[in-house]
Amino acid sequence: MDFLNAIVALSNFVLIPAIAYGSQLALGALGVTLIYGILRFSNFAHGDTMAFGAMLAVLITWLLQSMGVSFGPLPTALLALPFAILGTMVLVLLTDRVVYRFYREQKAKPVILVIVSMGVMFIMNGLVRFIIGPNDQRFSDGERFIISVREFKAMTGLKEGLAIKTTQGITVVVAVICVALLFWYLNRTRTGKSMRAYSDNEDLALLSGINPERVVMYTWLIVAALATTAGVLYGLDKSFKPFVYFQLLLPIFASAIVGGLGSPLGAIAGGFVIAFSEVTITYAWKKVLKYMLPESLEPSSLVQLLSTDYKFAVSFVILIVVLLFKPTGLFKGKSV
Amino acid sequence: MSETTKNTALFGLVFGLIVLTGFMQSWNVAVLILNMGLISAIMALGVNLQWGFAGLFNVGVMGFVALGGLAVVLTSAAPVEGAWSAGGWRIVIALLAGAGTIVGTVMVRQRMAAGRARNIATIAILVVGFFLYRGIFDPGVAAVEAINPALQGNLGGLNLPVLLAWPMGGLLAAGVAWLIGKTALGLRSDYLAIATLGIAEIIIAVMKNEDWLARGVKNVVGLDRPVPYEIDLQNSSAFINRAEGLGMDVATASSLFVKLNYSILFAVVLAIIFVMAQLALKSPWGRMMRAIRDNEVAAEAMGKDVTNRHLQIFVIGSAVCGIAGAMMTTLDGQLTPGTYNPLRYTFLIWVMVIVGGSGNNLGAVLGGFLIWFLWVQVEPMGLWLMEVITLGMAEDSGLKKHLIDSAAHMRLLTMGVILLLVLRFSPRGLIPEK
Amino acid sequence: MTGNPYQDDRGNKDASIANPQGGGEMTPAVGTGKEMNTTDAFLVGDSMTGGYGKDGPDILHDCTIAVNPGEIAVIVGPNGAGKSTGMKAVFGMLNLRQGSVRLDGEDITSLSPQARVAKGMGFVPQVNNIFTSMTVEENLEMGAFIRTDDFSDTMEQVYGLFPILKEKRHQPAGELSGGQRQQVAVGRALMTQPKVLMLDEPTAGVSPIVMDELFDRIIEVSRTGIPILMVEQNARQALEIADKGYVLVQGRNAYTGTGKDLLADEEVRKSFLGG
Repeated sequence: MDFLNAIVALSNFVLIPAIAYGSQLALGALGVTLIYGILRFSNFAHGDTMAFGAMLAVLITWLLQSMGVSFGPLPTALLALPFAILGTMVLVLLTDRVVYRFYREQKAKPVILVIVSMGVMFIMNGLVRFIIGPNDQRFSDGERFIISVREFKAMTGLKEGLAIKTTQGITVVVAVICVALLFWYLNRTRTGKSMRAYSDNEDLALLSGINPERVVMYTWLIVAALATTAGVLYGLDKSFKPFVYFQLLLPIFASAIVGGLGSPLGAIAGGFVIAFSEVTITYAWKKVLKYMLPESLEPSSLVQLLSTDYKFAVSFVILIVVLLFKPTGLFKGKSV
Repeated sequence: MSETTKNTALFGLVFGLIVLTGFMQSWNVAVLILNMGLISAIMALGVNLQWGFAGLFNVGVMGFVALGGLAVVLTSAAPVEGAWSAGGWRIVIALLAGAGTIVGTVMVRQRMAAGRARNIATIAILVVGFFLYRGIFDPGVAAVEAINPALQGNLGGLNLPVLLAWPMGGLLAAGVAWLIGKTALGLRSDYLAIATLGIAEIIIAVMKNEDWLARGVKNVVGLDRPVPYEIDLQNSSAFINRAEGLGMDVATASSLFVKLNYSILFAVVLAIIFVMAQLALKSPWGRMMRAIRDNEVAAEAMGKDVTNRHLQIFVIGSAVCGIAGAMMTTLDGQLTPGTYNPLRYTFLIWVMVIVGGSGNNLGAVLGGFLIWFLWVQVEPMGLWLMEVITLGMAEDSGLKKHLIDSAAHMRLLTMGVILLLVLRFSPRGLIPEK
Repeated sequence: MTGNPYQDDRGNKDASIANPQGGGEMTPAVGTGKEMNTTDAFLVGDSMTGGYGKDGPDILHDCTIAVNPGEIAVIVGPNGAGKSTGMKAVFGMLNLRQGSVRLDGEDITSLSPQARVAKGMGFVPQVNNIFTSMTVEENLEMGAFIRTDDFSDTMEQVYGLFPILKEKRHQPAGELSGGQRQQVAVGRALMTQPKVLMLDEPTAGVSPIVMDELFDRIIEVSRTGIPILMVEQNARQALEIADKGYVLVQGRNAYTGTGKDLLADEEVRKSFLGG
């Protein structure tokens, strides 16, 4: 019984939150890694692209709610998501047309594009704050839980409860769908393959008749969809706050690099590695340990390795360790 | 137009704008812009050393600036009575134990042959070391933080003159930069950008949460000053006479006098750092640095130790940022870890360097002043713009209220637009590298 | 510092923000100041003079290269003679100050390399000539990217020419051996069903045995009727299979003739074939 209680407590406080957070990071890191593989720079504006997409979703959700539209037990934001993706696509394509394309024509070095993306970051950040303000916005509605603690306890008779939030369930389902679609697209479709080819060897792709501008356009479209989805899922799960999205940049970059920059599979793996380490290291293990250990050994302290405020430190240390021992990341970062 | 005339004109323009602020808004605002401009210029010089001279991409400026701020508390604040005996030494011993664990791990890894035994040993040392560290550390922290928590609860500083805190800030930043550089520049390919991005967040996290160090988010206020206090000036009859002689209000005069004192101090520091940066640029060392930047392979083939040179300039540039950070905290008179954010303290400095002209010290200084001026003044300008735009709207219109309320966020937008415009149309910056 | 500020990355090599892999370096440099028409052939680079970049020094001087269907034409010469440069000029990667390039009678001097591929030129670069992270089959598919018709026949033909590729079709091309990679590269270029195939040092860095095998394959390709223009470092072996040989010296045509003639020529043997 104690063992079961320990497992449940572990699932409730570590596994489920980490899986949900990992999925969100993975989606974010996929966007970063696609840009890195195909446009060959790290996009500092990615966090703010996520914020922009999520903001659109928030606004559309409010609109739908005011019109009395709802999605039953699911959050209305899911209905808003496709429109938000479209809006974000327009924004990134516009950005590419007005900003990035010029530098591609100049054959600018990637690091110049990184600096350019800083400018885009400022603009998008300002835009989001300008439109919706810098404050917290709640836009999650529908059922709050798939299983609540009370239901679970009644069902199993265990002392520990297990809660699965609707948003956590949705996060995982949507992330799995997105990832499956993306991999199907990259590995099975002609356009997807041409993107991989372009990422692998630009000159040869040109010689094969692949149009770089088309590849770049599709990349931005996919990135917009991924970023918006990641942003909305994160916002549903936690809450929407522009600055938080900006701060997500570090764990997202860390995920992409830990996995191997340029490798989509790596981005997903990296997202989960970072999420699990963040949650396990900042979790107070007392609750789990008290079931596992005999009473005499029961810990008096919280058995928290690091305070939650140091979660950045965790992603960072994982990053350094991976880079020291496997500089190319877990999955050899090479091409998309 | 010759280069000198152009540069003079650009600097004239920026100082003209500041003077104009003095006439149109108030001299207090103008001198404040000047002071922060001086500090910004120093930060920009630091980043320019790294990016302009050596092509090192440091996106952790915020961390070094914050370390400078921390140094002010640690150097100039009065020690908290009883803190050291209560738990201070324990904390120091714990930190030494933590460092010892890491050193020990590295040594074990160097001595032992690769394999499972080495991995087990590594993990064992790390785990034991961690619990040992926490075992010593936690009671010490609890003891220190229990001392008068409403006002203190930290170790306090060394009670040295506050001016000493500036070089100390540089030293502290340099030390941390050395650790980062040793790790990140030593990796098989360079991963400095992501390393600095992460370290900066960690530094801020430590400063926010380790209350024993500098009270965390409870802030340290009332730091020492290198200049007189306004209230003393207002009570000094000599000062009152002089202010009245100039036909000025005593309160305004005292505040201006204090700020101008800061300006002089900051200008001296800027001048010293600028001259040193210029000398470095023209010295064989600076030439070698640029040679490495322009052709690393050739430089390496000529026997230059590229990694070591990069480490040097990374440490020096970070130290300059640390000095600027210490000056800023001194000017504020308080350390508020909660206010550090990367947009303001990292990316804005980058905008200054790029707009001013990467690789040119004069450009970095110009960028520092110009961008800081805009950062401050875009807000009132945005408000004015929004008022003009919304002039025709109904007084109770929701949109009007929203637009006017949001005017404050115009500054981020503007910074982005400026950066993109400069990158596009004048990619070498306003004062390009020669 | 380079002339173009957008290309000045200040020596930055930070892999966490800038991707060093797979970036393009190909610069289309096209057009000519002075057209020339001295010979006639299926593909001809006629009296070409030019060099890299806008004001780069001339590397080619009045150099003519031509090939007809069923032929293998080989460009040989000492290091730095402009062999690869000559081929790049034919393919549109060089600024010509004088000369024309004609394919099947059509002037293509002002077309970009990509456009020349669409016109029916197949080009196998000397290095980076395969998509290393993609499977052999995907490499061939990418070769056929511009085709909208069904290309499974062509793929079978390529597999017929290079049976080893069929065996390894689902393996990433980067995992293959040097000789096999070259086969992938040639196969990729054949997927467009080109009217002419250009190979830049196909045997660079492979062992003599593999080289012989590669030459055999090239002869087989040529038997299908495709004219082949090839730059070769291994002059003697290459001239043995060549219908036409061009010996370039300092960017000029030094000797031209059939492969046999050149091999027999006393002067050519002494200066370039080591006796």
